[in-house]
Amino acid sequence: MTRQASLARQRRAFLTWCLAPALAVLAVVTLAPMTYLVVTSLTPLNLTNPMTAWNFHQPLLNYRLLLSDQRFLNSLWVQAKLSFWTVGLQMLIGIGFALMLNLRTSLLQALRTVFLVPMVLPPIVVAIIWKVLYTPDISPAYWLFKAMGLNVPALITDPNWALPAIIAADTWEWFPLTMLMVLAGLQTVPEELLDAARVDGANSWQVTVSVLLPYIRGTLMVAGLFRLVDSIKAFPLIYLLTDGGPGSVTEVTNYYAFEQAFNFSYLGFSSAITVVLVAASLAMSWVLVRMTGWGAAE
Amino acid sequence: MRKNRAIIHALAIGLAILVLAPFLWLLRMSFETNAEIFAFPPHLWFTPTFDNYAALWQGDFRNSFLNSAVVTVASTGLSMLVGVPAAYALARMRSRSDALSLWIIASRLAPPPAFAIPYFLAYRSLHLLDTRFGLVVIYLTFNISLVIWLMRSFFENAPRALEEAAWIDGAGFWRSLLSVVLPTAAPGLAATAILCFVFSWNDFFFALILTRSNAMTAPVAVVNFMNYAGWEWGRIAAGGTMVMLPVLLFSLAVRRYLINGLTAGAVKG
Repeated sequence: MTRQASLARQRRAFLTWCLAPALAVLAVVTLAPMTYLVVTSLTPLNLTNPMTAWNFHQPLLNYRLLLSDQRFLNSLWVQAKLSFWTVGLQMLIGIGFALMLNLRTSLLQALRTVFLVPMVLPPIVVAIIWKVLYTPDISPAYWLFKAMGLNVPALITDPNWALPAIIAADTWEWFPLTMLMVLAGLQTVPEELLDAARVDGANSWQVTVSVLLPYIRGTLMVAGLFRLVDSIKAFPLIYLLTDGGPGSVTEVTNYYAFEQAFNFSYLGFSSAITVVLVAASLAMSWVLVRMTGWGAAE
Repeated sequence: MRKNRAIIHALAIGLAILVLAPFLWLLRMSFETNAEIFAFPPHLWFTPTFDNYAALWQGDFRNSFLNSAVVTVASTGLSMLVGVPAAYALARMRSRSDALSLWIIASRLAPPPAFAIPYFLAYRSLHLLDTRFGLVVIYLTFNISLVIWLMRSFFENAPRALEEAAWIDGAGFWRSLLSVVLPTAAPGLAATAILCFVFSWNDFFFALILTRSNAMTAPVAVVNFMNYAGWEWGRIAAGGTMVMLPVLLFSLAVRRYLINGLTAGAVKG
């Protein structure tokens, strides 16, 4: 065997040793719990009743119950509304802000950092900030409304306004992310392409709509899909602002799973809800992996 | 053209103030007395007080803050230790599987109850509920994936000539990884560690479910102020400010890598 071939073989062995511990740890901390979750979802596990553990008499019962559970079906609808509006608004505002910042004057460069603040705050602090804003006694916004003679109801306790209130807070928190992603995309647009359009007599609006945005449509898709997967995880805002209410108008599926498991102790049933959520987020992650070429060797 | 620019600048400044206002208001509240907070209409000027912070630091909050720091640092350290060599291996291997990528990305994007439920059940029988160790382990679920994704792209972009030269000189693979590859990746290592710190520090859901009192972290402790009668807004604001301060400084320090970290490398900023 030549020295080179033996070096290559040793190198492969070395790389395997680098990778193996991480895979082993990941298997223990992610794969095993995920399997346990699926197993639990096949039992009626309820912590107040020890007989329910490891009871596989009716493995699919939880899933059958889900199909006829009005509260679960409602939570899917609430989730759909929340995802639609937050992702939509974050994309629109993100694109708008990115186009503005893309002019790249020194003032705009400086402001770019300012716009990042909502996204880098801990989510629970974001929730506290909006709790303050939505509490009429202490909110500067309510003081302004009053000064202008407007009579605004307490938004987070009003069935018609609770969900829009959550949507507003979530949009504030995450538009910086779509803004940054779009901005990164805009910086890949070749200058010649824009010059060519301008020579053809396109004004800046036309350049934006028919050259810039189509050129970065891949980035836009990834940004939207990414926020969509993440919107399933919404928790601190709902926990702190509305607790899923009033009634269940802000009870998204993730929140419903949390309540079933940790308020009512129905861990088996909650596991089934969670399995449905995991399946949805896996499917979307798969699309993301394909779209971004994460998996492919270059 | 000049006029357009002026309009856009004015608009941008206006929007910046609007975006920052809610955040600044919380900061202001943390220096107010409760009477000042409920003053209506709010006073424009007031005498700032550090009473809220002092009260926090004399109470249980100090312990929660310490818990957050210990758990976050430990989980970040472990994830780097395990994740960095793996990222290097993935960057240097020729073949790569879609399944592995999906596994890593999905564990970062999974809805929180997916891990909270099995960990809660397992910790109950292992007596790991309300321990710092328990939190360190569950934070590995997202931190290791993050390290692998971020460091993989750093290693891919690093030149290979140096490490190959080191092998030819007979340096051995471990030696060349430690003394040639890692030093050149130092900025990437720092950014990655900071992002792990931020994500662990920010966690609310897992700490809410897996801790009660001993291992309670700062984000959960702040929310607990809300459950007592007579909402202590000043203290809540001060606690919130203390929770966000380290994260804010760290994130802005690595803002160049932020987007990469938040999207697991889907978009390079």
